[in-house]
Amino acid sequence: MSKIIKCRTISEGYGEGEAIVTQMAFGFNHAVDFETGRVKEIGHELEGESIKGKVFIFPKAKGSTGGSCYVYQLGLSPGSPAAVINLSTETIVAVGAILCEMPVVDRLEEDLFENIQTGDYVKVDATNGFIEIFKKGERTDVSN
Amino acid sequence: MYLTDEEKRMMDGEYGYGAQLGMKILVTLGKVFDAEKLVEVQHAHVAGTGFKTFGEVGVKWLEDLVKKNVKVRIPTTLNCIGIDRATDLGFPKEKVDWQMRISDAYKNMGCTAIHTCTPYWCGYVPRLGEHISWSESSAVVYANSVLGARDNREGAQSSFASALTGRTPCYGMHITENRRGQVLVKVVDKPSGYSEYSAIGAYIGKMITEKIAVYDGFVNPRNEDLATLGAAMACTGGVPMFHAVGYTPEAPTVEAAFGGNTDYDVLEITRKEIEEGFQIATRSESREVDLVTLGCPELTIEQVKEIAEKMDGRKKKDGMTVWLQTNAYVKGMSEQLGYTEIIQKFGGILTQDACTCLSYPELIGLKTMACNSTKVSFYTPGSNGLNIWCGDTDQCIETAVTGYWQER
Repeated sequence: MSKIIKCRTISEGYGEGEAIVTQMAFGFNHAVDFETGRVKEIGHELEGESIKGKVFIFPKAKGSTGGSCYVYQLGLSPGSPAAVINLSTETIVAVGAILCEMPVVDRLEEDLFENIQTGDYVKVDATNGFIEIFKKGERTDVSN
Repeated sequence: MYLTDEEKRMMDGEYGYGAQLGMKILVTLGKVFDAEKLVEVQHAHVAGTGFKTFGEVGVKWLEDLVKKNVKVRIPTTLNCIGIDRATDLGFPKEKVDWQMRISDAYKNMGCTAIHTCTPYWCGYVPRLGEHISWSESSAVVYANSVLGARDNREGAQSSFASALTGRTPCYGMHITENRRGQVLVKVVDKPSGYSEYSAIGAYIGKMITEKIAVYDGFVNPRNEDLATLGAAMACTGGVPMFHAVGYTPEAPTVEAAFGGNTDYDVLEITRKEIEEGFQIATRSESREVDLVTLGCPELTIEQVKEIAEKMDGRKKKDGMTVWLQTNAYVKGMSEQLGYTEIIQKFGGILTQDACTCLSYPELIGLKTMACNSTKVSFYTPGSNGLNIWCGDTDQCIETAVTGYWQER
């Protein structure tokens, strides 16, 4: 059974995919490979993992303000995540995402990290402000 | 969100496509961040000028705006780029051409293409309490903390939207109560100089992420020290500002810096935390170094003078590349004062415009870098993939002479 949670729209659009979750802050600048979506930040718990085509979940942003251009280029590149979910989105991610039309939401009405773990399948309807979560293994038409 | 008549007319397109686009971006962000209104700004500083971050899609976006005859409405300066417009650093022509298309597009829209990450030293000095719209995270922190200006951590395109309109949404750092301290940092062991401030910034940024630190215990920090401290905090973390008790305008005392907030965490800086700061994100298997880069944020003329004095009469190792990163203003003065000649005799290049992490050392055969700024070391693995060592200026100069990373 899936679960629907309301949230706030940051950047409109729709995206779905496997969730990749970190509770560490994340800065996009110089930190993701545009082709493969591989995380390049040394020492980040996601270093070496790919966010390509996934619903990328991190609490809040950090890092340089050129990151908004990095988000813009990433959003229009093969390595782009399908959508982003934050506890609280920062200006840098918001403006880059709005301009490249990457779906971004924040402020879920329930606890983000209790409800979504890496490997769950998540549909993000940023335009209408809700997400739908399928726990890992509950969908047979997607590979977990 | 409340809009004035003029702002409504911008939104409706009466002031042209650029002002309309800018207003749409700002109103969207203003709604997201619960701003009640926009505030007027007289200056914008736009980051995202590097081809490495903005890419071909960014060039297309900007050139499209030029075609639509978009112009900025307020004085606007531009951040550093991936090349030096005055000196050929050996990067591929294709990269240079793409980079210049970004610079030219902004210039054609009326921006002042000084290409610096330190606009507060050679572009525009905002006044205490003045609202501005700057991107470049280190400049945001400096403007808020050291100058007492009011600026959010604008993305490159949101500061550009301000350039097109002369407005920014009123939230975050524009509002007095949001500028209060949230974490007390007791400086037990004093930083010895510039690079140790950078190390402290890297450590604290990682510990507090977006919170506002109140440093208690600095002794006569130089402006260069506070600049590199903030630059580091804004890359390992996402801080918009800090207070340094006794030295920054909104922090005459600890109590004033916290503005009545009594519920805060306390952190300490000892030798251990400073050393830890230097280690964050550094990674190298080889002690053999072929690139030494000094400055981040860009060097001031005082720093160039001090480095020239350390380099005087010495010579870098054959095959070593040495960049001293600054802007055209400092470079021009350095030439007049004879520092550039000393640096050249050492074998170093005083660059302008170029930021190490936006440039292309990996495309001219360089493998391992030494630097004196934790911001450079933090971004090096992702931006160019070089091995990286980070330490103080003396270590870096010894490394340039010997060819091997020198312990302190």
